[in-house]
Amino acid sequence: MQLLINPSDELPIYRQIMRQITEAIAGGRLKSGDKLTSHRELSEHLVIAPLTVKKAYDELEALGYIETQRGRGTFVCATLPETDRADQAEQIRQSARRLLSQAYLAGLGFQEVVKVLEEADRELTEGPPALQHPASKTQETQ
Amino acid sequence: MTPILEFHNISRSFKKDVPVLNGVSFSMTEGEVVGLLGRNGAGKTTLIRIAMGMLFPHTGTVRVFGLSPTDEPVAVKKRIGYVAEEQVLPVGSSIAELIALHRYLFPSWDPALERQLLDRFGFAGTAAKIRHLSKGQARQVALICAVCHRPELLILDEPAGGLDPAARREFLETSIQLLNREGTAILFSSHHMNDVERLGGRVVLLDDGKVRLDRQLDQIHEDHCVAMIPRSAVPASDAIESLPGCLRARPVFEDWHAVFQGTPEAVRRRLQESLGLQDVRCVSVPLEELFVELVGSKRLEEVS
Repeated sequence: MQLLINPSDELPIYRQIMRQITEAIAGGRLKSGDKLTSHRELSEHLVIAPLTVKKAYDELEALGYIETQRGRGTFVCATLPETDRADQAEQIRQSARRLLSQAYLAGLGFQEVVKVLEEADRELTEGPPALQHPASKTQETQ
Repeated sequence: MTPILEFHNISRSFKKDVPVLNGVSFSMTEGEVVGLLGRNGAGKTTLIRIAMGMLFPHTGTVRVFGLSPTDEPVAVKKRIGYVAEEQVLPVGSSIAELIALHRYLFPSWDPALERQLLDRFGFAGTAAKIRHLSKGQARQVALICAVCHRPELLILDEPAGGLDPAARREFLETSIQLLNREGTAILFSSHHMNDVERLGGRVVLLDDGKVRLDRQLDQIHEDHCVAMIPRSAVPASDAIESLPGCLRARPVFEDWHAVFQGTPEAVRRRLQESLGLQDVRCVSVPLEELFVELVGSKRLEEVS
């Protein structure tokens, strides 16, 4: 998978990496057992400090999404962290209410929100649109 | 562990009673990356020249690998790589002559790294004279001369100054590779916040002769915010700047922009408790904005 970072974002670079990998796992673009790019390769590819990549991987490992196997590399965990479904369901209901009220206040109708959700689903499962066009691989503003 | 670089209470002035540096202290450990930031004239280059033993501090001490750079220049310089902002390479020599000189001066010179970098920067040959190189190419030659003896500490003074974006990126890529392969510690000064973000590590911000901020980049992102407080609610900046965690407040049109240490939520609460202000807008901002708020002008510019 291809990662994009934007150094002038207010979100630290390591968090941008964490978010993209979590989204790829959620959307099934990264599956259990898939190998991640090594620290060094990713650091040189994205032109960012190796410690920044290490921090992102360490945090994802602490959260139980990925694991490092000595001498073999870093992989998506075979079993992803268990979450309390009932607890999550309540949080998701709350997020949905917030999303809908924000949309209605902005003048969007229910069907339009559904469209937005479908777009988001495509981005999660197929990758962000920028990644589907090889010509627009970077979106960094200098 | 001995710090590889240590500034202790450094002061230096060029005009009487106008200190450029006025009590600067910080240190770096092995393999650490530190971005030295500050406005033009904040003393970044002066501090770097003191570390290189090219200038004496008027007060304070500097130690590089535990040694004084002025008392033991050879022992120190053997282990440092340095690229100056305005690198003065002898314009009449060829790339080959310059590299041969460095190879002769540094016993630990690594010819494989030299070839690799020449290759990477796309130098077809080394017969070209320095005067015929572009600014970017000259900087690349300076970098080759600075890193091929595999220094433990690389000091880059505005390495990207005056370079086009592509040359800057190549320079950065090489620095990242050195970090990856050699674990070289890097002290660099820069005005390009994106480059600072990419090299990561720690940020030391010089202002008014002192260290105004010295923290890990990630902590700066996650634990600082800017509060926008209506000037009608608080008449003087002192009332804000005296609050715990406030680094600076400056007027921007109808508001004070105040930089606080803390998350936006925590700072909003603090402002409500201490000054009775309701719903103050507190936002996390990119490094560039934070830089402007921390060292930008305190005067409200009237444009009429």
